[in-house]
Amino acid sequence: MSTEQLSRSVRGARASVEARRPAGRPGRRRASLRTRRAWAFYLFSGPWILGFLTLTVFPLGYALWLSFTNSDGLSPRTEFVGLANYREVFSDPDTMTSLARTGVFTAVTVPLSLVAGLLLAVLVNQPIRARGLFRTLLYLPAVVPPVGAALTFKMIFDRDSGSANGVLDLLGVDGVSWLVDPYAHWVLIMLTLWAVGNVMIISLAGLQDIPREVLDAARMDGANAWQTFTRITVPLLSPVLFFQVITGVIAALQSFAPLLISLNSTPAGVTAVPQDNYLYMIHVFAQTFANGRYGYASALLWVLFAIIIVITLLIFRLSKGAVFYSFEPEKAKKTPRTIGSAR
Amino acid sequence: MSDSARFSLDRRNFLIASASAALAATALPGCAASVNDSSSGGAKGGGTISVMTTEDPKTFQADAQKALGMTIRVMKYDPSKLNAMLASKNPPDVVRGIGALETPYFAKRGLMTDLDPYFAKSSALRTTDLDPVNDLWRFDGQKQGAGPRYGMAKDYSQDSMFWYRTDLFHEAGIDLPSDTEPLSCDEWLDLGKRLTKRRLGKVKVYGLSAGGMGTFAQLTSLTASAGGSVFAEDLASVDFSAPEARKALQWILDYTRADIGPNVANPNPDGWDWPTYQANRMAMATDGYWFGGSFLDDPKIGELSRFAPAPQLGSNRVSPCFGATGFWIPRESKNKDAAWKFFEWYFGGKPAQDRATGGWGIPSLKSLQAKMPQEKPFQKQAYKVQENEMKYFSTLSFTPYAEVTALEAVLNKVLPGAVKSNTPTGKIADELNQRMNEQLARGKELAG
Repeated sequence: MSTEQLSRSVRGARASVEARRPAGRPGRRRASLRTRRAWAFYLFSGPWILGFLTLTVFPLGYALWLSFTNSDGLSPRTEFVGLANYREVFSDPDTMTSLARTGVFTAVTVPLSLVAGLLLAVLVNQPIRARGLFRTLLYLPAVVPPVGAALTFKMIFDRDSGSANGVLDLLGVDGVSWLVDPYAHWVLIMLTLWAVGNVMIISLAGLQDIPREVLDAARMDGANAWQTFTRITVPLLSPVLFFQVITGVIAALQSFAPLLISLNSTPAGVTAVPQDNYLYMIHVFAQTFANGRYGYASALLWVLFAIIIVITLLIFRLSKGAVFYSFEPEKAKKTPRTIGSAR
Repeated sequence: MSDSARFSLDRRNFLIASASAALAATALPGCAASVNDSSSGGAKGGGTISVMTTEDPKTFQADAQKALGMTIRVMKYDPSKLNAMLASKNPPDVVRGIGALETPYFAKRGLMTDLDPYFAKSSALRTTDLDPVNDLWRFDGQKQGAGPRYGMAKDYSQDSMFWYRTDLFHEAGIDLPSDTEPLSCDEWLDLGKRLTKRRLGKVKVYGLSAGGMGTFAQLTSLTASAGGSVFAEDLASVDFSAPEARKALQWILDYTRADIGPNVANPNPDGWDWPTYQANRMAMATDGYWFGGSFLDDPKIGELSRFAPAPQLGSNRVSPCFGATGFWIPRESKNKDAAWKFFEWYFGGKPAQDRATGGWGIPSLKSLQAKMPQEKPFQKQAYKVQENEMKYFSTLSFTPYAEVTALEAVLNKVLPGAVKSNTPTGKIADELNQRMNEQLARGKELAG
């Protein structure tokens, strides 16, 4: 079809639409309604989109550009170095060690906090006396800002004046240097688990969403408590658990908590983090601000970004069949329920 | 044209509009700075300057505003934030800094304002009245101590000297150190071991805190005392394998392994010595004259404290200053004239007089040094010891190719593991050389 033929047929189609449209206001009203809806949509989503572009897309792009330079942020002689920073990421033993350590940290803390949070949720979901009080107490540590929690941990685990060694002292046992290698890693894991109330509260919401009649039916069919939990509760809770695995893994890979319990509070403190707690993000921070390697640190961040995407996709793929949805997400998308439509 | 076409707001248009707005938003700080520049009023009163410092705003902000007739915006000193602000060319107008360690790095990168024209015109701050320590704020493009002045010290100390608790010495039955003759580093370490009190693996009283200004500064001072230098002559590399530097490194390793005070493997959670010293849990604290200012808050500790000369590792008696802490004005400051007015007030006005009489360091103006406190016994003793030590005052040139935090970072990374695994000193020296020299080479490539 030639361009002329195409424009003729478009004009024809427009004319036919105009001819079929009732004269006067209804057409304008429809258009005006559509425009108003569009304005309303963009008015509400606009601030977020603006923030996203300014605070996420622009910095990401800037960091991507930096990652191809040898910039230290301050020197005037910044040069384009191509992929050199990315090559160094994979040949730098400090980077590889910190990445491996971060992997171990993630593999330990995510399942631990998931299991602990779920168990606590099951406990506070029981019809026991003062249930509300227990829920509040168990959730309270998650409300404490991480800096406050870390300071408390530093005080508890101080070698010479901390209460942890005070208890050991009473038992006649030698004190332990908790905040340096090799114990600092365990303190870090404890600090991470301290905020397990977050997992508990989300799991509790999931537990309360499980229909009572399903559990009753299982019991009537002869299932004991363990069978009900493993075959009914956990599968129905699996979307909630899956969500927590994804967010937990991302948070653990980006963990910056080691700095909070570092003993050295001087500007070089980030590099004085015990080696067992020298996680990937600590390495990034040290490269940026202690060593002034903005270009290399940007490459490190982009590599982490890629790793997070790959791991997330991998978890999605591995979870197929393990996560039970009570409805088909795809079908739901195709036939959205709207107010007033029949169920 | 239909209504919908006239008010077209499809996704593409909206995203283009948002992106434009986002770009405009990122450009806003620059515009804001420009506006601020033209309306600040400079030194003629009025206007606003921002000061990045560790000092509590309560101690100077109101007085400065009243005296200078301008608004002082105080922000807490944070090296990471400062670097980010310098990188974005939007720094504070006045910045706290350690002249001895930071001047070469920042000046080499053209980030500091040359203050010579301001000094030339000033009647409050005359170069003839400046103590030589202020030369640590000079840099000629290659070395420290010459060239334009980029900042000024508020006060200073000879940072390898130490304070000690006489009560803890008496308890341990140990003679007090001499006021004039320095201890050898071996004697000093031995004293530290004898003064340390332990119980069940915990240190109840630290015998010696040896590195008040950081491990790298301590290493350079010890090496100088042994007659050598950590840096090569062009300041572009280090050599810990040289006999003098290796001797210094060995001493630091011995001190760390002895576990008699805060060290690189077991840092001080407080960040400085005073809280532990005040709590009767530290017998010797390697902090210069400035530390005596803390005793004003707790006179009882002052009565029990005395000051001693800097211990020496070798026969070359030196007593360096690693600090010369003061202020500088970034080149990108939008209010340089107003910032200079703050300089004149802070370094030459009432705050300088108050600091001189307070004992928080040796005044950086010669005319104020007579005001150093000598009323209390510990102040008299400290003044005499300090007066004698001044004969051995020295400065150590720092490299322009790396920030001290980067070199300190290498020590933090290498030394704790090496101490734990008893790695031979030669091997540690090699690793320090390799890591630090890589860092310095990168810096040289960028700074030229």
